[in-house]
Amino acid sequence: MYQTRQLIKLCCLLWIIALTIGCDGPSTSGNNSVTINPNTSANQPTEKDLQPGLDKSPMDMSYYPVDYPKLKMTGSISEPPIARVIYSRPQKNNRLIFGDLIKYGAVWRLGANEATEIEFFRDVTISDKRVSKGRYVIYCIPQENNWKLVLNTDLYTWGLKIDSTKDEYKFSIPVSKTRFPYELFTMEFEKAGKGMQLNMEWDSVKASLPITW
Amino acid sequence: MKQLVVLFFAVTIINTTVEAQFKAPALDKSPMDMSYFPANFPILKIQNKAIDPLMCRVCYSRPQKNGRNVFGDLIEYGKVWRLGANEATEIELYKDVKINNDRLKKGRYSMYAIPFQDKWTLIFNRETDIWGAFQYDEKKDVLRTDVKLEKQQDPIEAFTLVFDKTDSGANMIMAWDDVKATLPITFIK
Repeated sequence: MYQTRQLIKLCCLLWIIALTIGCDGPSTSGNNSVTINPNTSANQPTEKDLQPGLDKSPMDMSYYPVDYPKLKMTGSISEPPIARVIYSRPQKNNRLIFGDLIKYGAVWRLGANEATEIEFFRDVTISDKRVSKGRYVIYCIPQENNWKLVLNTDLYTWGLKIDSTKDEYKFSIPVSKTRFPYELFTMEFEKAGKGMQLNMEWDSVKASLPITW
Repeated sequence: MKQLVVLFFAVTIINTTVEAQFKAPALDKSPMDMSYFPANFPILKIQNKAIDPLMCRVCYSRPQKNGRNVFGDLIEYGKVWRLGANEATEIELYKDVKINNDRLKKGRYSMYAIPFQDKWTLIFNRETDIWGAFQYDEKKDVLRTDVKLEKQQDPIEAFTLVFDKTDSGANMIMAWDDVKATLPITFIK
């Protein structure tokens, strides 16, 4: 037993050394590596002080058309975007996500930190429902075989408390298994059929919300 | 010892091959963040402590110093800087404001800065949803103002933009490396 423990310790040490050497020196900050502090608790609101550190679940932004800001920069697009989502990206960190960290049937903020925000720059149609242009909080109630997605009008809120009296639209979408687990929760738009879909992936689960206009 | 090394390499190789097989977008090197005034508005809101309404928010990306000298070197003096990284920094005002006696209507703007050694020129521009300052168009400026700088004692690693309450409104504080810039904003009642 004592020997095994020594062995594990040595392995860990070797690994850390190898990782340190592997990283390209000071130009890459530790905050950008995919394996982040295993003590991450995605559910803890963190107060921001005057010199706030980087978030453990960093924020990101996705547009449709995909990479809209870059298309605009290169001058290859002139019409306004269709949609944009702002969300935070928690990491799996060896945890089982769906059915365990995130309970089936419970409200999940579809990210971390602030409630996830989706904005439609024009009216769209989602699952045969007309959705008015504007900004919404988007959240999820995951089940094993499907997700319920909700658009809510209670904006600028932290994701742990959703005011369900302000639910505006609800959609049920099937989920599928991914071939490999996703370390980072990911939300991205993708061209699909006559419109697009909002793909959401984390761990071994993928769900897509079809959107047309 | 030999077995150990073999084990270590085997595990590392398995790990890297698994990771090489899927293409999930990685975390940004300069992660995005959001600042609000009142500060921490979403947290105050769920704690029922948000007494004042949301006045503004900024969505920006946070590059890191990484041992580099930032102003005058990495960011050249006199050139337009996107006040962050990646997408152009975006400010959304939920009320009309006054900046240096100029009125700025509520709405969504891109923000840029032209840093100099002794001041920054801050720019509010109406072209939004754009990447960086590469296509910055001066004709779409809605407001320009100069702000004073202070020296930071301890250098700040990640570019930081936050709001601080003042008697007449808020200070937007922008700090990176050893430079701190402060923009006073007055909210029009």
